[in-house]
Amino acid sequence: MFIENPLNSSALAFPILECCHILGFAVSIGTIAVVDFSLLGVGMRKQSPAQLAKDTWLWTLAGLVVMLFSGLLMFSSDPDMYYLNWPFLIKMAFFVSAVVFNYTIHRKATSSDTPPPNGKLVACVSIVLWLGVIFGGIFIGFVYPGLKLG
Amino acid sequence: MLLSFVQWLQATAFFTALRGSSYVYPVIMSLHMAGIAFFGGMVLLTDMRLLGWAMRRYSIADVVAGFRVPKRVGILIVATCGILMFGSKAEEYYYNAFFRTKLILLALACVHALVFSASVYDRAAEMDRAPKIPGNAKLAAALSLLIWASIACVGRGIGYIEPPLDKIHAQVHTVKQASLAALEGRHH
Repeated sequence: MFIENPLNSSALAFPILECCHILGFAVSIGTIAVVDFSLLGVGMRKQSPAQLAKDTWLWTLAGLVVMLFSGLLMFSSDPDMYYLNWPFLIKMAFFVSAVVFNYTIHRKATSSDTPPPNGKLVACVSIVLWLGVIFGGIFIGFVYPGLKLG
Repeated sequence: MLLSFVQWLQATAFFTALRGSSYVYPVIMSLHMAGIAFFGGMVLLTDMRLLGWAMRRYSIADVVAGFRVPKRVGILIVATCGILMFGSKAEEYYYNAFFRTKLILLALACVHALVFSASVYDRAAEMDRAPKIPGNAKLAAALSLLIWASIACVGRGIGYIEPPLDKIHAQVHTVKQASLAALEGRHH
């Protein structure tokens, strides 16, 4: 028994979800990057990375929620394709690692006003994990089986 | 004239090589996206500070000054990758309605900068001393968010327009063609 996904009956649903996804990741990854660069000593230096994290965590979370739910809806439009798409699988591995890292080690590194000695390493790992998510996401559309673009 | 320019641009050896490579193009696009996240995050935080919704632990002057250089680096990465993508398929982009809209919106972003740089962003210290954030600063922030969000969405739209293949001179390497080629490869 097949139930038609209502998302697939509208040509506009998928691109609109993509726009939400892009805005969501710009907000979440962008705010995380700002904290990472502050750990590396670049950018906002008037306050500690911990203070910066306190000022950005809500925006990070809001962006993550938008990104996650728009992503789940896009996945639901063609799950078999995504399951067989290797960049998608790599993206998911990076995404799960990045989120877990962000709310464990990264959070700990930005919880006290004196950044830990490994603060720079934490920042680099965080940046690499999120870059992995972005690269994976773009490559989804560039391999076979890929998105039915256009 | 513009058309002959874009045809010449994509025919240069550099952009022909870029177009022919199946992996360099998505790598550039990924860097474009990473730049968008980096730049967009800072635009959001700066504008939300002006609206009074984020970064309240920092003065407006600190936020504007702290993000000024990183924001420029960010937009430089985004623009460089954007120009590389444009150059490799210049003629295709030339015909693309979303791309044209995006250029208009980018021009609007420049107008926004011209209008509000002196009156808002350069007067951050003054605003910190004022009891309330002035209305024109909030207007500048809201417009900036609207323009940059529209640019991101319109940018996504570019990929949805099929190039008019009968008009295009360069060998266009679309996802569909690549997928079909991969399929053919599997069957033989």
